[in-house]
Amino acid sequence: MIQCLCVVQEGQISANQEAILRTETSDFAQRNFGAAAEIQWLQVPEGSGFTEGVPSTSVIVNMTADRSLAPSEREPLLRELGQIWERHAERGPDEVVTAIRDPSV
Amino acid sequence: MPVYVVNSKPETVPEPTKALIARDITQIHCNVTGAPAKFVHVFFFENGPIPPLGEQSAMVYGQIRSGRTDAQKAQICSDMQASVCKHAALDPSEVQVFTTDTPASWVMEGGDVLPEPGEEDAWLAAHEAKVASAPSA
Repeated sequence: MIQCLCVVQEGQISANQEAILRTETSDFAQRNFGAAAEIQWLQVPEGSGFTEGVPSTSVIVNMTADRSLAPSEREPLLRELGQIWERHAERGPDEVVTAIRDPSV
Repeated sequence: MPVYVVNSKPETVPEPTKALIARDITQIHCNVTGAPAKFVHVFFFENGPIPPLGEQSAMVYGQIRSGRTDAQKAQICSDMQASVCKHAALDPSEVQVFTTDTPASWVMEGGDVLPEPGEEDAWLAAHEAKVASAPSA
């Protein structure tokens, strides 16, 4: 399984959106890293998330790849993962942070 | 990025203090590293899974970009511990702060791979120009 931590703000992602995001994120992992994602979904309680010191609307998606990635390979993957979240979480680009880590680091 | 997670025992960090601690964490990170506040995220959890609390009343975990010096990281940890202790009325022995490094090239924010430390101004200028030239939805 591909580990993936998703941090979202309470009240900003509906149950239907969450289901779609889980599926799409796992499909992304399967397609690019050869296994489904094991998703840890963390919801930041209302009033407990801040970006730039003010209430946050950001989502953070932190996935661990199955192999070390070259920058030329990682960047389009980061972009694809980010676009999945922009589309289905209805967030702007500035509200989506994606990280794809090499394994065992 | 950076992402700071403040995990605490229930009711250890009172609700009204969260905004104050988040403001301090943002300012401390920016003052020590020179990074723009735009990049700084601070999330609070009670008995959350990350970072494990152990015997502590509160833990602060910062995932920051690689390239900061040991002195910068020590300053960040010391100043943030002082902020949490001050606002939550905790003893320093009850609060632990630590950071881990993540290469900037592993992270995308605003649709762009994050800059290396020290290259933020050029990144922000290019990013804002891109946003300004993008067709509106």
